[in-house]
Amino acid sequence: MSDAPILVVGGGPAGTSAAATLAEAGLPVLLVEQRDQLGGAIHRQVARGATHAVHAPARHRRNWAELAQRVDAAGSRIELCTGTVFLGVDGDGRHLLDDRESGRVVARSVRAAVIAVGAVEKIHPFEGWDLPGVMTAGGAQVLLKETGVPPTGPILVAGTGPLLLAVSAQLAKAGNPPVAVLERGRPWVRFNSLLRMAWAGPQLGEAASYVATLLSHRVPYRTGADILSVREDDVGLEIRVRRNGTVHRLRARHMLVHDGIEPNRVGIPLSDPGGAVPVVLAGDGREVLGADAAILDGRRAAREILARLGMRLPEPGEARLTAARNVQAALSDLFRSALPEPTPETLICRCEARRLSDFRSLPDDASTREIRLMGRFGMGVCQGRFCGPTIAALRGEAVPSAIPPRWPLRPVSLAALADLKTDDLES
Amino acid sequence: MMTRIFWNDYVVPFRPGETIAAALGRAGIINLGPAGGPARGRVFCGIGACQACVVAIEGGAPVEACLTLARDGLRIGSMPAVVVSDE
Amino acid sequence: MARPSSMHVAVVGAGIVGAAAAHFLAAAGARVTVLDASGPAAGATGASDGAVSVASKRPGPMMELARHARAFYGQLETEGLFTGLFHRRSTFLIAQNALEAELVSQHGADLALAGERVIEVARADLVQRIPGLGDGVTAALEIPDDGHALGYQITARLLQRSDIDVRRRAPVSEIMVRDGRAVGVALTDEILSADAVLVAAGIGSAHLLNLGDILIPRKGQMIVTDRASTGRPAIDGHLMAASYLAAKRGIALDRSHIGLVIDPLVTGQFLLGGSREDNRSDHRTDAVTVSAILRAALELYPPLGARRVVRTFAGVRTASRDGLPIIGRHPHVEGLVIATGFEGDGICLGPFMGESAARMILDRPPAADLSMLTPTRFARGGSSA
Repeated sequence: MSDAPILVVGGGPAGTSAAATLAEAGLPVLLVEQRDQLGGAIHRQVARGATHAVHAPARHRRNWAELAQRVDAAGSRIELCTGTVFLGVDGDGRHLLDDRESGRVVARSVRAAVIAVGAVEKIHPFEGWDLPGVMTAGGAQVLLKETGVPPTGPILVAGTGPLLLAVSAQLAKAGNPPVAVLERGRPWVRFNSLLRMAWAGPQLGEAASYVATLLSHRVPYRTGADILSVREDDVGLEIRVRRNGTVHRLRARHMLVHDGIEPNRVGIPLSDPGGAVPVVLAGDGREVLGADAAILDGRRAAREILARLGMRLPEPGEARLTAARNVQAALSDLFRSALPEPTPETLICRCEARRLSDFRSLPDDASTREIRLMGRFGMGVCQGRFCGPTIAALRGEAVPSAIPPRWPLRPVSLAALADLKTDDLES
Repeated sequence: MMTRIFWNDYVVPFRPGETIAAALGRAGIINLGPAGGPARGRVFCGIGACQACVVAIEGGAPVEACLTLARDGLRIGSMPAVVVSDE
Repeated sequence: MARPSSMHVAVVGAGIVGAAAAHFLAAAGARVTVLDASGPAAGATGASDGAVSVASKRPGPMMELARHARAFYGQLETEGLFTGLFHRRSTFLIAQNALEAELVSQHGADLALAGERVIEVARADLVQRIPGLGDGVTAALEIPDDGHALGYQITARLLQRSDIDVRRRAPVSEIMVRDGRAVGVALTDEILSADAVLVAAGIGSAHLLNLGDILIPRKGQMIVTDRASTGRPAIDGHLMAASYLAAKRGIALDRSHIGLVIDPLVTGQFLLGGSREDNRSDHRTDAVTVSAILRAALELYPPLGARRVVRTFAGVRTASRDGLPIIGRHPHVEGLVIATGFEGDGICLGPFMGESAARMILDRPPAADLSMLTPTRFARGGSSA
């Protein structure tokens, strides 16, 4: 199997960095990306044929240009499969790929795997979060980067964290500033955290430029704001917000929500650098450290694989990963806030339409299996990626909890899976 | 160059290279239906994870609107509603 | 035996059989503690299709018992216990070639002989009822009196009584026996005393009762699709391919270890199954087996081509060496009853068998002759207990 490639899943900064590093060491790489272009969420490229581009920080543009150049330079050592979804590893160790363009599911023999599938946004549920018109801030940002065009109509941005600022500033620059940004936390009052942030360098500079953009577009940034509920009528969304004990009603056509991110770990094979086919996680899918650190972490993952194959590479800069960890810790401290208790009617699991009251009707000591079978939480098409953190919080468990690997990691065309192709390395 | 897809009875133009989600969004189609269900379709996470933007496709299995590039003449529609059983 | 009102019964295993026994013991006035290494429906009960089906049973005692068991579902539904959980649903036995047609026809005759209603359905009529059926389908029999229930929902309903103490994450390591009587069970850091013990722990019964050479794990891989319809089954009946019958009757139609069923769920999803893999007790699924099940399913019902697979999972059935369930008193230990080895029939048989086990513990006469299922049959010619 020594001519089998190293599989790298995810064409974001971590995966691209791992792929380039492995290829530069002379190994064949199979780089799989679900979209038609490399980039991932942070470095999402504008769609071919789009007429507008969105502003991205210079640092991100520079980083991506360098990564893209390295992938180009690797030439045929990197086999790039775009439009291909990683379905996971089956019970016999097959790495399964869903090639959406050809409509085929393929089992590929690989020598090792780096899994760099990024993060998923957390959403603290409130009544109406499931309505059309509500989307994640990160999702809206990705769409904006692709099209260069913001959604039309009034936009409200709510939740917590620095992404709210970034998305809002980009929307403003693209021509549709939000009607307001509602931050649950109170970052201004956490001076200690702010001081610790001071040496975060480029991130702090970017945050300042976002704030300046919002100021110049007169976008109100309100802290300590809890979203209570959203309902829809003929003209859009009505959002109830509680701030300093007073309930306000706001109107918007679109509502962008975001409560931080979690590694996308549901069903992902466990990191097993010592296995017969070594598997290493990389980037925000391993630990949320941000886009810059993801490039380093991709290199770290590649180094781990190379070490297993008896090849050595210089240390990738653990100190900078530690620094990134400190920045993330300071950020989460800066934006720390208490989550409001959802009402019993609040939808927790959108896929299976299950509410908080459904969860509460389960026995207090319900097993994980009962929560799935009787509660139906985690049984839907998103496989628990969105209700999972909420359920874990309700049960007082850590996230991500130990979730056994599973496949398919995504719903897959039944006909394509029926027509499974195994590559010629498998007898 | 403009080409088009069909969302239920609507004609939706798109630019080559654009996803179904981008085309629907630009046409102002936010509600991916079905009407009246407790959890209607809508573009949500933008990265294929939440599966809320899955649309039915004529002649094949459903796809995520946020991952799938629009193709000229493609006919798409809402997925069946999720109904809570009567227990 | 003690009077029910002063009796404490330890039920080992919170699957459908243990839950049913617990329910009826509690209803008779006994104090019941249900112990499970994980929780309710954690084993085969929660990893199965929902066929409450006589149509699939081997001719002979299993077919007879399945008729009793299905009637018991109907009775409990009428009485209110299973309201909303058990539904009448036809099973269609489907043949796709001459050999299969012969098998289906033979099976239909056996069912009719057992008193079951069997309706021959012409292809044209079948296609009208289940539009899109594959071109290869030549003949079908409808078994109109079959039903559907989800094992985990039934189990939860049975355990809902407030007088049943359900202990989750409570693995039993040993049955305590004194002077030839079961006196309790050993948990991780406690001995729970009891006047009687029921072991209904599926394959977990093997180590508790030293049945390792009698019980065989048989893994089955299954697939769940996305929704094809809104809030109701996508097709009007349970499709059972001749390959499934062949597997049940111990006939080798081909070299495949797949017996195909297409089970339309009330959610609008399909459950597709399954493989029969002897001596496999892991819960892994593999793409080669799954794709083989899907190919068979697509051939029988091509509209599945418009569906997505959302989940694969495996359940481990517990089969006995002679293919029959094991239910009865332990040959050498008083106050110890065994109920296991229901293979793939646990959902159908479970409530009836659990109630029968409760009767055995309470020293009451059974509702049907279960003598051929007694564990004693394995004890003849050399005991291992």
